[in-house]
Amino acid sequence: MNEHVSFDQDFIEKLKIITSEGVNNAASGFSGMVGRKIQFNNPVARLVPVLSIPEIVGRPDDDAVGIYLRFDGDLAGQILMIVPHNKALELADLLMDLPQGTTQHLGSLERSALGELGNLCGSFFLNSMAGKVNADFRPSPPAVMVDIVGAILEIVVVTTGGIGEHALLMQANFMDGSRCVEADFWVIPDMNSLEDLIKKYSVV
Amino acid sequence: MKETNVGLGEQAISRSPEEILVAYGLGSCVGVVMVDPVSRVSGLLHAVLPRVTDGMAHSESNPSKYVEGGIEDLIAALVKQGANKNRLIVRIIGGANMLMTSGMTRSFDIGTRNIEAARTTLNRLKMPITVEEVGGHTGRTVRVYVADNRVTVRVIGEKEHEI
Repeated sequence: MNEHVSFDQDFIEKLKIITSEGVNNAASGFSGMVGRKIQFNNPVARLVPVLSIPEIVGRPDDDAVGIYLRFDGDLAGQILMIVPHNKALELADLLMDLPQGTTQHLGSLERSALGELGNLCGSFFLNSMAGKVNADFRPSPPAVMVDIVGAILEIVVVTTGGIGEHALLMQANFMDGSRCVEADFWVIPDMNSLEDLIKKYSVV
Repeated sequence: MKETNVGLGEQAISRSPEEILVAYGLGSCVGVVMVDPVSRVSGLLHAVLPRVTDGMAHSESNPSKYVEGGIEDLIAALVKQGANKNRLIVRIIGGANMLMTSGMTRSFDIGTRNIEAARTTLNRLKMPITVEEVGGHTGRTVRVYVADNRVTVRVIGEKEHEI
């Protein structure tokens, strides 16, 4: 990791609380947008080796949709939502209020709808975190990638890989009871700006 | 057949006919494949960044993370396993621009710079590139079939094709 940033157990615990509450807020936004109860599990905050990031989701050669945002402000970083390709088709149906099985291809309209979902979940997470740490964040417009899982996750690696050997990963998994919805949700603060956050704010 | 995953910042060398070297989902990263058809030694590098000066981690001891040092290291490892440098068939794959949204150009820079770093390094080492499948906006999975020196690429929605 960046040798200038150090994490004690107390800070990690605070990050876990921020992650859990942020994911809860994002799930609320997700639920409202698709009109059904979205649950989440395993919200965690942990340091991971940057080069091992493509192995975290598994199935690196599977087709998927990645919805990617950057955020700037008092803290900078990345948000990535990864949805298996077949689940993204179902999600597009849900978002556009179409009968299940209607969407067979992700065109510009479907990608736009998925992008808005990522935008909303990311913004809800950031709003929660902003309230917690008294900070201001500005998310970028979402970018939607329909590609191989490994290539989507590489974005995170390339963006963080030149800075240090580890990254802070705040993550959770969204799903609903029928498993129609299935998505990995990641927030990866830039390590350099995290150092600023530690210095500037009394977190939580 | 046994698939060996060559992860980010890794290289693999093989002369086992049962082995397939594979790098899943090369986005802006670059894969460099070198094959000696006579000694039947194959190598695959999965490099992340152009060269060590592009990051802060100067003290890192992993040359395979970088295109420039990774290529030199790959050649040395192949020669050590019996390959002849002058016989090596070189292919480069990857270097895509995964993010087309305005304001997110950093990834584009790195993909393009990775390609340029591979070309520059190979040119300096006087090693011609036989095949390039680089650039664009999609990820690629590359497989090296050690048994018959075949190299294939797969992009989303398509079957793997030989290059």
